[in-house]
Amino acid sequence: MRRARPFLGTIVEIAVTDAGAGAEPAIEQAFDAIADVHRLMSFHDTDSDVRRLNREAAIRPVSVDDRTLRVLQFALDLNQRSGGVFDISVARHLQARGLLPLHEHDKTATPCLQSSSRAIELTPDRLVRFHDPATAIDLGGVAKGFAVDCAAEALQACGVSAGLVNAGGDIFAFGKKSWPVHIRDPRAPSGFLCELSLCNEAVASSAGRFDPFHSSSALGTAIVDPRTGENPGEILGASVRASSCMVADALTKVVMLRGERASASLKYFSASALFVRGETDVLATSDWQELRLAG
Amino acid sequence: MSDWIKWVAPAALVSTVVAPAHAVQFMSLAEAQRLAFPSATQFIPIAGGACRAMEGNASVGYVVFDRVIGKHLYIDYTVAIGPDGRVRRVEILQYRESYGGEVQNGSWLAQFIGKSAGSTLQVGSDIRNISGATLSAHHVTEGVKRVLAACSGGGR
Repeated sequence: MRRARPFLGTIVEIAVTDAGAGAEPAIEQAFDAIADVHRLMSFHDTDSDVRRLNREAAIRPVSVDDRTLRVLQFALDLNQRSGGVFDISVARHLQARGLLPLHEHDKTATPCLQSSSRAIELTPDRLVRFHDPATAIDLGGVAKGFAVDCAAEALQACGVSAGLVNAGGDIFAFGKKSWPVHIRDPRAPSGFLCELSLCNEAVASSAGRFDPFHSSSALGTAIVDPRTGENPGEILGASVRASSCMVADALTKVVMLRGERASASLKYFSASALFVRGETDVLATSDWQELRLAG
Repeated sequence: MSDWIKWVAPAALVSTVVAPAHAVQFMSLAEAQRLAFPSATQFIPIAGGACRAMEGNASVGYVVFDRVIGKHLYIDYTVAIGPDGRVRRVEILQYRESYGGEVQNGSWLAQFIGKSAGSTLQVGSDIRNISGATLSAHHVTEGVKRVLAACSGGGR
């Protein structure tokens, strides 16, 4: 059974192999889980955790949903591990470029000079505090993957034995079934780079294009180096396989910005990657298995 | 290990693997109606693709069928609206699109699912992801707004 609905700025597709009477309610729960993440982590919705944090966390500690806390914990950890390349406080850069809107509580689009792992504190009693008033976060680089994970968890909690969740290319497959996935070639969008067989694993891709989670604008690229405010250099696209879609989603940004130097971050999360640089170079980690010709 | 290997794609790969057109049917209009209002006993067509969901003699909401252009082809979808005039759910019924039509963004890496490009689709075992979903989702969102405006503007 397959269903699709618009969420997270893309069309989210859920497929389950089970056809019984439980399949429909399970898919409903999975879409609910995605709607929750959308509601909590949107940069736009006035009542989202992200908006509340950006509005208030520099003034007083803010309480957020456990799911938001999980994403923040991961994002701050990856900020440190990636040497600052992955940074959710990139929001100011995106605002300065007009890729994210300025809200009424934003006095400035001047980037916070500290990295997010220094500027943002998660207190032991599960509150969030910003130490720098210039800090503004955007979870667009990680929330879509997290939403996919939540949907997959919801399906499994409902007893679905095998399924796949796909939010515009951020994919998680679970259960005793291998799902074929083609990686599109960023140099020739009608061609494929390779075919993967996905089983109990996630894959995510990034490229020099706008991330739809933020905005309806399809122009420009959402990937910005938080250290410089610059776009990725010659890397046209990157894909990452990992044990969770949140990890895969976030690591694509690290690979886009660092290329081969993303090794340490990939290794830590036991993730593998492939990227395309310029017109000729395709590089893959040696554990990017099943790298073979499509067709 | 994260040792990088350089992978040289045979030139033939890109040129010979041509993206096929495809259409995905997720559900029928009748299914969408039933799922949105399980307690409804009948759906009475009113104007412009809209049906009124009736439970006995009482109206419990509306299901509006509409289509928007995805990138090149139509996406069929429904908007279920509760008696309070708020959207209850948006469901994609059918998605028709070509893999080869990434005209908006010349260089983006998307993933999609399926068997090898030229192979025959087997319903149930092959899942094709919706590629190029960004623009499509934007159009659906615009469509939902239009449906809501039409519903609040007349006939209710």
